[in-house]
Amino acid sequence: MAGKPNDAPATYSPSLKNKKHPFYKNSDLDWVRPDGRGFHQCRPAFFRTGAVNAASGSAYAELGNTKVIVSVFGPRESKKAMMYSDIGRLNCNVSYTTFATSVRGQGSDHKEFSSMLHKALEGAIRLETFPKTTVDIFALVLESGGSDFPVLISCASLALADAGIMLHDLVAAVAVSSLGSNLVIDPVSEEESYQDGSLLITCMPSRYEVTQLTITGEWSTSRINEAMELCLDACTKLGKVMRSCLKEAASTTTD
Amino acid sequence: MGAQKNTGDWSSDMEIDAFRRLFPLRFYERHLTEAIRPDARPLKKCRDTSVAPGAVATADGSALAKIGSTTMLASIKMEVMTPSVDSPDEGNIAVEYYMPPICSPIVRPGRPAELAPVIAKQLSNTLLSSGMIDLKELSIISGKAAWMAYLDIYCLDADGALFDAALLSAVAAFSHLNIPAVSLNDEGKLTIVSEESNGEENVEKEPVNRDRRKLTISSIPLSLTCVLHKNYILADPTGEEESIMETSITTVLNTSDQLISLYKPGGPVLASTASIKECVSLTRQRIKELQDILSDSFASMDMN
Repeated sequence: MAGKPNDAPATYSPSLKNKKHPFYKNSDLDWVRPDGRGFHQCRPAFFRTGAVNAASGSAYAELGNTKVIVSVFGPRESKKAMMYSDIGRLNCNVSYTTFATSVRGQGSDHKEFSSMLHKALEGAIRLETFPKTTVDIFALVLESGGSDFPVLISCASLALADAGIMLHDLVAAVAVSSLGSNLVIDPVSEEESYQDGSLLITCMPSRYEVTQLTITGEWSTSRINEAMELCLDACTKLGKVMRSCLKEAASTTTD
Repeated sequence: MGAQKNTGDWSSDMEIDAFRRLFPLRFYERHLTEAIRPDARPLKKCRDTSVAPGAVATADGSALAKIGSTTMLASIKMEVMTPSVDSPDEGNIAVEYYMPPICSPIVRPGRPAELAPVIAKQLSNTLLSSGMIDLKELSIISGKAAWMAYLDIYCLDADGALFDAALLSAVAAFSHLNIPAVSLNDEGKLTIVSEESNGEENVEKEPVNRDRRKLTISSIPLSLTCVLHKNYILADPTGEEESIMETSITTVLNTSDQLISLYKPGGPVLASTASIKECVSLTRQRIKELQDILSDSFASMDMN
């Protein structure tokens, strides 16, 4: 106790450093996912629109421990400094809460996700329907449980639909992680930390068009094909869940 | 107003909406003379309120509070610190209040709401001065280690009475808080004793505090914000009401009926002693309601 340095960080989290035996080792061929799912099985998805009353449109999404809220504001006046534009602008911002991760974080903005979210949604929005104005898409990750970014995209597209922004189609996103010789869909944080590579597809399920494809790590062409098939199939199913959420919301408001 | 056309319900709805936007104050005054508010509440009635303890899985204590559509999510994380020399046997509480851009159209990224630091300061003053929590209970080893409770409150939806909702979520989170059991490791740092205690190394290290425990919470501070306009007093204002009628009074009482704070940040209406008394007595009634809501929510949580 005496050797406690005074210039150490003011506080520290007393969580256990020594990991529980890892669920996955490189040599393992036979292993079980931390939440007991099959390799090609997604977590059950829960969506609800209208989570934030102050916004023009909003949605809440929960997949396992991953919980996000997205609010959409506008179309509203663009910043004064912006040049004239005859198509609408999109402005995205993603931030994390301080309690999103198991150790208390800084709760800062996530610049990378902000710009990637912009690019993933841009292609699905009919920007020409709101010239000279801006639509703001703000996201907050309440809890990070893995596959945060794909959940954010799907949730944001529901929020856009809730706000009445014209879309070509809903946007659904699903990620696949490569662990050794296995492909696991919709990875949780623990699996993401062990992955050799990841593949993320963002697509418009009814039109069967891809708006964003991100691949990291080393992949062979055949594995890419396999992973893409998996993702596209899951996106179609996710799209159905999202659609039914919108229908439900619409039927309750007309009642 | 003006040319009122009665060509079906739809068009008259539009007229009211336009009137509301163009002449918000007159719109409200017309309601106030009828002793009713646009959301169909009597002047002194508060909105539906609910509390959900344990909303954040990663936190040691948490709660979600809703007053009308105003939503607050409070989370407490316990970290270890070296206590200050002045108070070697006391822990501390750090309060942060966030208004992320999702909560309101007036907050934009990079431009924090003016209101946020004001509410943060009020919250931290209220919690620390009310004596709700005995900081000595947060001590682990006198002079060596103590708990720092990081209370982070996120506003998820802003629609008036922000301080009331934030305070409600904060006290609910403290009631839900479980202080983890910790033990000393070889490096002189504290680690959490895992509940199954399967690790052999944990058994021999004498645990500093043996069980997860709750804080003893003496009289809880709770609050009510009222808006003043002319002679009218409106309890628990919505965001719209706050923006139109700018004078507000926030009263904080504790459950032993003592006044913790009274906050009237200027405004065009000068409050008379009578209206201040009225606000305090409204707060007293409101606190009874809130206590019932709190105890109900914890009772239903224990059953699950």
